[in-house]
Amino acid sequence: MIVPAISFQHLRKAYRNLIALDDLCLDLQPGEFFGLLGPNGAGKTTSLHTIIGLVKPTAGRVLIKDLDAVRDYRQVHRLVGITFQEFVLDAQFLNVREILIYQAGYFGVSPKHAGSRADELLQQFALWDKRASRVQELSGGMKRRLMLAKALMHDPEILILDEPTAGADVELRHQIWEMLQDFHQQGKTILLTTHYLEEAERLCERVAILQKGRLLAVGSPKELARQRDQHRLEDVFLELIRSDKQ
Amino acid sequence: MIGFLTLLKREVMRFIKDALDTIAPPTVDVILYMLIFGLALGARLGEVQGVSYIQFMMPGLILMSIIRNSFYNPAYSLFQSRWDGNIADALSSPLSYTQMALAIILGGVARGLLVGVLVLIAALVLTNLPFAHPILVLVYGLSVSIAFAGLGCIVGLCAKNWEGINTVNVFLLDPLVLLGGVFYSLEMVRGIAVIESLTRLNPFTYIIGGFRGALLGTTEADAIIGLILALGLGVVLVMLSILLFRVGYHLKA
Ligand SMILES: Nc1ncnc2c1ncn2[C@@H]1O[C@H](COP(=O)(O)OP(=O)(O)OP(=O)(O)O)[C@@H](O)[C@H]1O
Ligand SMILES: [Mg+2]
Repeated sequence: MIVPAISFQHLRKAYRNLIALDDLCLDLQPGEFFGLLGPNGAGKTTSLHTIIGLVKPTAGRVLIKDLDAVRDYRQVHRLVGITFQEFVLDAQFLNVREILIYQAGYFGVSPKHAGSRADELLQQFALWDKRASRVQELSGGMKRRLMLAKALMHDPEILILDEPTAGADVELRHQIWEMLQDFHQQGKTILLTTHYLEEAERLCERVAILQKGRLLAVGSPKELARQRDQHRLEDVFLELIRSDKQ
Repeated sequence: MIGFLTLLKREVMRFIKDALDTIAPPTVDVILYMLIFGLALGARLGEVQGVSYIQFMMPGLILMSIIRNSFYNPAYSLFQSRWDGNIADALSSPLSYTQMALAIILGGVARGLLVGVLVLIAALVLTNLPFAHPILVLVYGLSVSIAFAGLGCIVGLCAKNWEGINTVNVFLLDPLVLLGGVFYSLEMVRGIAVIESLTRLNPFTYIIGGFRGALLGTTEADAIIGLILALGLGVVLVMLSILLFRVGYHLKA
């Protein structure tokens, strides 16, 4: 049996009396490009954060290649690169290039190696001209690219991207898509969340639709559309969300 | 190890790059105390415990600088990282929670000792300090620094806003230090009941007294009690910081 890249097992998260995740069970296969979809507040970010231990499960667990996200957090973190929904960038005193080098350092990459890796990614993400800039001087799209580069510094096997194309212009969105497809081709597992359903349709082999912490459907976008006599994922999504609300 | 050193380097570079705001003000501040209380007023006070007043107050001022700066660095750094969200970078890295706490604490130790040494140099310009027990001076400086960097780490995790950090300074650090006999000996306040009893109850009286003894050779407070207090405080506060990181206090949802 193949060990899933990520396995959510009866995962439950409650914030006081708000249930953010309700018995979530979901397996991602190694090398899979997977989309986690759902309206605002569905629990997408919460489930991603349980993978890296930023959210403590109320019950259930998350395994990453059979490693427990809580118990084996250090090994898990080595395997995972994450970009957060908000701009998480150490802007206190570091410039763009230093942000990447420090990030690699936290993952144990030697400074020499980190320098060349940073330069490579700065060029790939068209941030080379901004390498000496402070974060405050970057546009929103540039910050998104920097966050992506940061997540890739330690060359992770699994990429977790929380709305990586939010606020990106059309061209940047296409660039990010191409890059993600590249990583996918390299065999990396990708788990992303997005509110752009055509993006999920284009990129993801499978998607899961979440509402109020509950899983409403899982499958390939085509399969889900076929089952419901629809053409577009967006229509499937709306139908599921609306009928669940009733 | 690279991960730990990287975080430590971050904590150190944070104040080095901003030395004009982090290192210069507390140093200048204490030099002013030296000039006013030590040179100007001290001349009229005569000898205390067999040394001149300016000599007498120097160990307390050095320790005060170490305490404040060891405390501020982790407190502000950690709180700001929580505030900006970039604490998530460390939390999602392979660093262990113990490594995170220790790197942040050692960053504070570095700043505390740096300011401490600068203040010591200023003190040596103004007066002479015999360094009666040099090893003990070092042990005191280090353990006090570790203890207050630990406290800074805890406050950086617990604080709910920026003011919270200053509140700890005003309500805890300043009274401990100022009522710990930086500027006076127990002999000088004998008969002033409030001050005398507060000073006697204050553990800092023994730590500062011990440090003074190590630096000057004076012997008012029992040096061993001070040392045990300083080391004990260091161990407890560091353990508590590590514990808070492990449970993810204010770090994890
Ligand atoms: N720290 C927290 N404390 C209390 N409630 C929280 C916390 N974080 C999230 N929640 C709640 O949990 C639920 C799920 O939030 P989550 O951020 O996972 O949603 P999401 O699917 O990522 O939404 P969005 O598309 O808006 O990003 C929401 O109802 C939210 O209010
Ligand atoms: Mg979200």
